[in-house]
Amino acid sequence: MTAPSFEEFLRLSVDLTAFGETELLGTGLARQYLAKVRAACGDEIVTALLDAHRAARTEAAGDAGDAGSLDGILLDRVLLDRALRHRIFSDDRLGPVARNVIKLWYAGMWYALPPEWTDRYGARAAGEASTVTAASYQEGLLWRAIGANPPGAKGPGYGSWAQPPRIEDRYLNGATK
Amino acid sequence: MYAKFPEGAAHRTDPAAAAEVLYDAVVVGGGIAGALIASRLSQAGKRVLILEAGPAEDLTLRGYESYLDRFYSATGKDNQSPYPAGVNAPMPRGTDARRISPGAPDASAYLVQSGPFATDTTYTRVLGGTTMHWEAKTLRMLPEDFRMRTLYGEGADWPLTYEDLAPYYNEAEREIGVSADVADQAYLGITFDEGYVFPMKGLPLSYLDRMVATDLDGMPVELGGERRELRVRPFPQGRNGIPNPAYDGGKGYRPRGAVSTYQVEVGERCQGNNNCVPICPVQAKYHAGKTLAVALQSGRVDLVAQAVAHKVHIDEQTGRVTEIEYRRYDRPDSPGSATMRARGRLFVLAANAVENPRLMLASGLRGSSGLMGRNFMDHAYLLAWALLPEVAGTFRGTNCTGGITDLRGGRFRRHQAAFSVDIHNDGWGWARGAPMTDLVDLVDAGGRYGQSLRQGLVDRVSRQLQLAFMVEVPANPSNRITVDPAYTDHLGNMRPILTYDIPDYTMRGVAYARQLSRRIFARLGAEDHTAYDPDFWGYAVHAGEGYEIRGGNHLAGTHTMGSDPSTSVVDPDQRSWDHQNLYLVGGGSMPTVGTSNVTLTIAALCLRSVRAMLSQLDAETAPIAVEVAR
Repeated sequence: MTAPSFEEFLRLSVDLTAFGETELLGTGLARQYLAKVRAACGDEIVTALLDAHRAARTEAAGDAGDAGSLDGILLDRVLLDRALRHRIFSDDRLGPVARNVIKLWYAGMWYALPPEWTDRYGARAAGEASTVTAASYQEGLLWRAIGANPPGAKGPGYGSWAQPPRIEDRYLNGATK
Repeated sequence: MYAKFPEGAAHRTDPAAAAEVLYDAVVVGGGIAGALIASRLSQAGKRVLILEAGPAEDLTLRGYESYLDRFYSATGKDNQSPYPAGVNAPMPRGTDARRISPGAPDASAYLVQSGPFATDTTYTRVLGGTTMHWEAKTLRMLPEDFRMRTLYGEGADWPLTYEDLAPYYNEAEREIGVSADVADQAYLGITFDEGYVFPMKGLPLSYLDRMVATDLDGMPVELGGERRELRVRPFPQGRNGIPNPAYDGGKGYRPRGAVSTYQVEVGERCQGNNNCVPICPVQAKYHAGKTLAVALQSGRVDLVAQAVAHKVHIDEQTGRVTEIEYRRYDRPDSPGSATMRARGRLFVLAANAVENPRLMLASGLRGSSGLMGRNFMDHAYLLAWALLPEVAGTFRGTNCTGGITDLRGGRFRRHQAAFSVDIHNDGWGWARGAPMTDLVDLVDAGGRYGQSLRQGLVDRVSRQLQLAFMVEVPANPSNRITVDPAYTDHLGNMRPILTYDIPDYTMRGVAYARQLSRRIFARLGAEDHTAYDPDFWGYAVHAGEGYEIRGGNHLAGTHTMGSDPSTSVVDPDQRSWDHQNLYLVGGGSMPTVGTSNVTLTIAALCLRSVRAMLSQLDAETAPIAVEVAR
């Protein structure tokens, strides 16, 4: 079996987090996160997750795309959302892993998988709750999403707290589902 | 100002050699109280030995960064998470708190709790003490807090007045480096000297505070037959801001930077890291290490760390303390220790309001008044949380920049406890573990990912408002610290046992706080999400309603001061009534806690006591004049 592809992991991460490739690479942690997911879940499951993601994108691209050349094609967001829900989030094996990848990016922490998952697919030592590195907490996307710094790092500067938060306009007015 | 911690100072003093020295003062505890006293005594030419229970490590930038790394790497980020937990000088931890079943003390953690009320109160046993994790809110007490018994028939009177302490508040504000504006802080009788300004200008209110103020300011409240209007007011803060050029009659103020490094990226103004508790990453916040570094530079202060005081020895004839016996452990993480002794002319217990009485009681010194360890106080915190109608940018700023202080004093204190209210810039973090719990819930239960997750986070986290009502707990002799040989730690030291209940007086304040929070949320158009969990360890029922009550780590009252030896443990100088050369200093001496976080008052009291210590030393070491008749 070939090792899960970093590029595909990155593409999956973009869809799961709604942060761009540049922002994800900018954390400096993307490769460590892939390594963490592999260590915690095993390559077979990671590969299956990436395969399911590729298939979801193919489905969302409709007739316009084939599996090999999806970059640059405008995907139907509604179709992609449905395909991800059907192929990944509702899957017993892949759903919890995908949710953990989201939390890993947002919190910088690997949360322990649910017991019903480990009972069925096996527990690994690396699957325990842990921070990946001291830097991962500081790079959590959660803080960027709310226009704040991770508490204890990246201090925004004296008095900055008196100003309105820097949150992207499209998220400011609520209720984008 | 560059504060260099002298290299090797944390381990250069040989305990065996120190045992041969008769120090002017032996100080137990390297927190703010011990550091201030050591620094002032050494300035006056006295020789001081500090015994510190925490690890023997110099305060260096690297050491500080190891605290930070431990914090970043911790899966749970409670207020002890940056600090190494040693087996020989264990620390209570907020996460230790368990519900207590009647008659069954909880001895699962260092602080044994016999209840009936469980608390998560903590203190930090490293060099610098709890000022390493304190929030650094530096409210002065109100003049009326010193006269509670006389004015309101509740609690106790101090043997000191606000006016007695005011000059020492000034000095404490200089030492800590307080940022505030007098115009904001002169209320409910708090007065300042003519022309006084704080060392640094007040920190700006957060965007969240201002949003709250827009609707809250002017809200009328009738209480105790008095009408007042609430407003959002900035808190004085023990962290670096913009120096006020008018300070000290126009001499200005030079902020104290990080210990052992130049002010480049650290040690300057607060950067808004929103992490005052448990650790300011840039040492903009004061910690006692800043005072210790200066004290150790004097060359007259010795420091023995990894030294846990075990017993205070007394001369049976005179009642004077002869020595302090301590256990010097070899390594923080393994057993192995030696018994050592420290000798001095004066002895100062500056360990905190739990450890001071613990040590005295473990030494068999209950005090002639029988009050040693009694009248334990803390603040009782009630949290109330809501979502504001608009995005407020929560999670930015210092932990807390503003709040409501109008109900700190007034005639209603005859009936119910006063409180100060914090507007938390860190949202529902304290109440519900936000924002991580929101993230987990949105992803795991809400099925959110991508854009809908980002939207959900802004909707749910950036609108959070948490009010923390810090409610006064009056002294009650039944609330107390005791010891029992059945409960000891690894070094054979008896562990503190806390017996604690929240009095009705406080609960009436709590109940009123909850009602007030409902009114405030309604005025702000905020969605009230407050719900108290009956399974919470600090759940307390009053008049049919249940509340989650948390501790404040504002330890006080276990060796209260007074003017009568039969009703107090120490005199107004914090000197033991029973032992002439012993001072018990810190929050333990306070007869009331009022609605101020205790550290500023602890600092002021210690600075005041130094004067008494110096005159005692001078009197007791002065050459005796012998008149010879001719």
